[in-house]
Amino acid sequence: MTVLILTSDEDVTADMVVLRLHEAGVPVVRLDPADLTSGVALSGEYVQGVSRGHLSVNGRLVSMNGLRSIWLRRPGVAASRAAQPSSWLTEESEQALYGMLRGTEARWMNHPDAARRARHKPWQLRLAQRSGLAVPATLITTFPQAAREFAERFPDLVVKPVSGAHPQEPPRAVPTSRVAPDTDFAAVAFGPTLLQRRVTKRADIRLTVVGERLLAARKPVSPDAHPDDVDVRFAPSDSPWQEAEVPPRVAEAVRTYMKDAELAYGAFDFAEDADGIWWFLECNQSGQFGFVEMDTGQPIAETIAGWLAHGTDRCRTPVGGGRGTAP
Amino acid sequence: MQPFALNYARPAVQLDVTTPYAYDSGLQLNVLHDGRIAATDHATLRALGTTTSTAGSKTHFDD
Repeated sequence: MTVLILTSDEDVTADMVVLRLHEAGVPVVRLDPADLTSGVALSGEYVQGVSRGHLSVNGRLVSMNGLRSIWLRRPGVAASRAAQPSSWLTEESEQALYGMLRGTEARWMNHPDAARRARHKPWQLRLAQRSGLAVPATLITTFPQAAREFAERFPDLVVKPVSGAHPQEPPRAVPTSRVAPDTDFAAVAFGPTLLQRRVTKRADIRLTVVGERLLAARKPVSPDAHPDDVDVRFAPSDSPWQEAEVPPRVAEAVRTYMKDAELAYGAFDFAEDADGIWWFLECNQSGQFGFVEMDTGQPIAETIAGWLAHGTDRCRTPVGGGRGTAP
Repeated sequence: MQPFALNYARPAVQLDVTTPYAYDSGLQLNVLHDGRIAATDHATLRALGTTTSTAGSKTHFDD
């Protein structure tokens, strides 16, 4: 039985897992859907009540029925590197590939439906609340007046993208940023705006969840850090991530979140305040983990490889409530 | 007419460096020019930030 990894060639973080699977002698096929029809080929038939299919990449052939698990890591847009790419070809290729894979008995990390839903930050915030996690007061609005009133109630705010996406043309990043007290909120009318009470944090927390296993890392905030440096991805820091214990109540809430989100993998970001409370910021369903593993030595890649290599578990109700193979 | 959040945008990180490894379809791994597996060279990965959560760079994966 083979592990199928859908990701781009340059995804060196996925390499860390491929290495572990190689060491364990687990067959792996790695492909990027972007290469469909130019390096990647597929075939499936549905005849007389029986289905069978194959994928081929660079001379490797794998049976759809021989897949034990599928890691939906960082796949490219289907057929985007075809000789004559088009939006129509992409749609055709996505329907063919993912439609066939959805029909297999393999388990997913993460199922495409669960992954797509889990990217929605407002949905994340609500699920985090329901799961029992502490969530900073948040407003998402296009009403300037609502923003002004929120700022009166919570004078120390940050703003961040709702989607987490970054604008192109020209390429820009939109880090989580502190909002000045005298800010003019008129431009809130021109796009949904996410405002959130700033947590005065003493540490950033990255909690990586693989199946049932929780691997937490903590990066203390420097005592002389500027309060405007709210986004750990941009804040200057020389301190490494350190392995951390997960408070039992957080662990229980995170497991509830993962179960309800139908996720097998999630990378949670928290801000730890002076009282030790972990405030939920977001859960990236395909978040990076290499930087944490390199700093802490935590066996994240090995744990992912182990999850992918081991048996199926199809007891979970998939997105939409019907029967299926979601983890 | 610019959305509020874009008032806080900054130019994305654009790395001028060329990644010192290339994908080997036989191994299904990225390999350094000297033949070593890139994922085992933590110094190189740290220098490039290729496994890091870094927003806004087209040469990095977000999250």
